[in-house]
Amino acid sequence: MEREKILAEIRQDRRAFIKKVASGTIAGSLLLVIPAGAFELPEQLPGMKEEKGPFIKGKKFAFIVDITRCIGCGSCCVADKNEYNVPDGNYRTWVERYIIDDHDNVYVDSPNGGLDGYTKPREDLPHPVRDTFFVPKLCNMCEKPSCVQVCPVGATFQTEDGFVLIDKKRCVGCAYCIQACPYSVRFLNPVTKTADKCTWCYHRVRKGLLPACVNVCPVQARKFGDLNDKNSEVYKIMHEPHVISILKPDMGNKPSLHYLGLRREVV
Amino acid sequence: MEENYKSGYLTHVIILLIVLIIVGVGGFYARKAFLPDGFGKYGHYRPGAIEDEINRPLRNMTNESCLDCHPFIKKIHLKGVHKTVSCEMCHSAYANHVDEKGKVFAKMPRKQGKEIRELCLRCHNKAIKARPVTSIKVVELPAHLEEKKVRTDHNCDQCHHVHAPLYYVNLAKEMMNMKEEKK
Repeated sequence: MEREKILAEIRQDRRAFIKKVASGTIAGSLLLVIPAGAFELPEQLPGMKEEKGPFIKGKKFAFIVDITRCIGCGSCCVADKNEYNVPDGNYRTWVERYIIDDHDNVYVDSPNGGLDGYTKPREDLPHPVRDTFFVPKLCNMCEKPSCVQVCPVGATFQTEDGFVLIDKKRCVGCAYCIQACPYSVRFLNPVTKTADKCTWCYHRVRKGLLPACVNVCPVQARKFGDLNDKNSEVYKIMHEPHVISILKPDMGNKPSLHYLGLRREVV
Repeated sequence: MEENYKSGYLTHVIILLIVLIIVGVGGFYARKAFLPDGFGKYGHYRPGAIEDEINRPLRNMTNESCLDCHPFIKKIHLKGVHKTVSCEMCHSAYANHVDEKGKVFAKMPRKQGKEIRELCLRCHNKAIKARPVTSIKVVELPAHLEEKKVRTDHNCDQCHHVHAPLYYVNLAKEMMNMKEEKK
């Protein structure tokens, strides 16, 4: 009786084993047939895949940088350089380090734009450091962009959905826009010889993905979303009591980039 | 005398008109020749530029796209405190690994040995004094190693799994039946 039981169990086991091998082989061969990576892009921004027209309809995108969370790891800078193959020495986005000493002197540095991270504390300062924090910078996507106004050939333009983009084929590289930008986010790309700047990853946003820097931020210091969507995180932040401010409000450019917990020292 | 003056005046007008028409038509065609198709359709720019920008190739993907093909890493990575860390931050962009057809064509770089420590300290270095404690746990080296009573030339990944830093630590605690030290 006991023997019978054991034998039955073994038979069961054999059957299960063969089944597993067979299904494994089938799955394995399927993996060879279906190319890896032929998957649907994940939809990080809801409703973006249906947008087919030249402009995004009914959405108002905003970018929020939370200074109180940023750890200055430089993931965003790395992702940005990867995404656009930005030539060395130029930065579409960068992270600045603000150091305030106990005499209230402010020191700002950004070695290699924060691309290599911040590995060492500053040691060349005469007074003890009172406070240090990081401020990521990127295109402010102004509602009234001065770069668009000064472009003589119509290469820089503002789309109806609020993105300020650059037409590489039209740009003659006169660099007027680089001088006009109050936030110094533009640079002359030494490879294409045209003006270049952060686009809030327009190509990713149109495909329903978050901008590369927002996607990689490990502490959610960068937030991106639709202000018309009442469930989005940016809507909630912008409609709740927070310390929210913009850079250089006196310039009148009305940037759509907002900073959470921005300090007086930041310019 | 007066009639002569009148006819002369008309010729001048006609000449002027012809010149104006030539300039106008010439200008029209010159504008057409120099401006790209559809310029000014939506504003003072080339409408095709939007399409160009949209068609820019994606080089970074999301963590899900990476973990789809790496189920073993997925199991560990998503359970640890490093679940928000991007794969592409340490291993470089998706497009350096998989081509447009979805075929793997190159190995991704992996940090090893001393590089690991450098990589960890990029975020976890206490000496920078700028890292909000609400976002991240920071340590000072070699103080952390001394406190944990290990050799000071140890690498971070000898105790911490890079994908789930507390995986081994918790496992060891469970095995040894250790209690968390209260501070």
